[in-house]
Amino acid sequence: MTHQTHAYHMVNPSPWPLTGALSALLMTSGLTMWFHFNSSTLLILGLLTNSLTMYQWWRDVVRESTFQGHHTAVVQTGLRYGMILFILSEVLFFAGFFWAFYHSSLAPTPNLGGYWPPAGINPLNPMEVPLLNTLVLLASGVSITWAHHSLMEGNRKHSLQALLITISLGIYFTLLQTSEYLEAPFTISDGIYGSTFFVATGFHGLHVMIGSTFLTICLLRQLKFHFTSKHHFGFEAAAWYWHFVDVVWLFLYISIYWWGS
Amino acid sequence: MYYKFSGFTQKLAGTWASDAYIPQGLKPVVSTEAPPIIFATPTKLASDSTAYDYAGKNKVPELQKFFQKSDGVPIHLKRGLPDQMLYRTTMALTVGGTIYCLIALYMASQPKNK
Repeated sequence: MTHQTHAYHMVNPSPWPLTGALSALLMTSGLTMWFHFNSSTLLILGLLTNSLTMYQWWRDVVRESTFQGHHTAVVQTGLRYGMILFILSEVLFFAGFFWAFYHSSLAPTPNLGGYWPPAGINPLNPMEVPLLNTLVLLASGVSITWAHHSLMEGNRKHSLQALLITISLGIYFTLLQTSEYLEAPFTISDGIYGSTFFVATGFHGLHVMIGSTFLTICLLRQLKFHFTSKHHFGFEAAAWYWHFVDVVWLFLYISIYWWGS
Repeated sequence: MYYKFSGFTQKLAGTWASDAYIPQGLKPVVSTEAPPIIFATPTKLASDSTAYDYAGKNKVPELQKFFQKSDGVPIHLKRGLPDQMLYRTTMALTVGGTIYCLIALYMASQPKNK
């Protein structure tokens, strides 16, 4: 008898952890080469091998779950814990940048004029595009919930529509933020204001792009009938991540855009 | 002791009577049969040639059969040639890149001769 007598998933040996780790080496040294020696070869190589690793690793997860059925209830529970812990680590990542912002803005130094926003900075009006951005992300939170309910009710057409709307809103947010970045009267090198503003909102924007990509993968999988009304953890994980991105924006909006203006 | 189903841990968890209390009285009996699991739009026969508007027919059952073949091939190579090519490309770029990286870092750590 060679088949397993337990409900856990013993994964086949895989090369992707190795290629992933090496691609991280290439990306970090690539950044160094780009910053200091004006050479982007290593960086591009790193980004390429990173993308190849991610594609193949997650492709294998889909094969193991949807096609081979390895994701039993207990395996799924493990994945749930894993995703929660990952998102928690991301929360802490952003907490650092909020700490930096509050550190500088609660007690502005004399160099800044002793007030916040610092002397010479014209902050963006929080009631203009930033408010629109807030509404866009909140609406996307509604549409993704609609998508989830449609999925659970077996309504294929609605789940696809709602997912598409969510992704479109995510792209719309990204486009709006890009135009804000291009039009902003201050830059990242404009003192501590510029640094905290662009690093915090910049990392947030990156997470919006990651979340949108995750949702697009879910859309493709839903088109290919991978999800069932009862088992669709990939979608749930994407939804949790998306809500996290939304919440981070709300904190950014309240702290940096509104209070900080 | 009352119990509720925790959607998070997928297990029963203890709860208080207040969670079970319904002022209008007993809830109507809910059927204990598991609701049918819905995979896609309802189909009649596999041979039914109703063309779906979205991306063709459901290929999951065939893919399930394909990937469950017990041929001992690991999951990352199970599709055969396309998998192998992608794996080899990835490995080549990664390992080659690492060697290039080590050389570049060695050169960068040499002091500049003034």
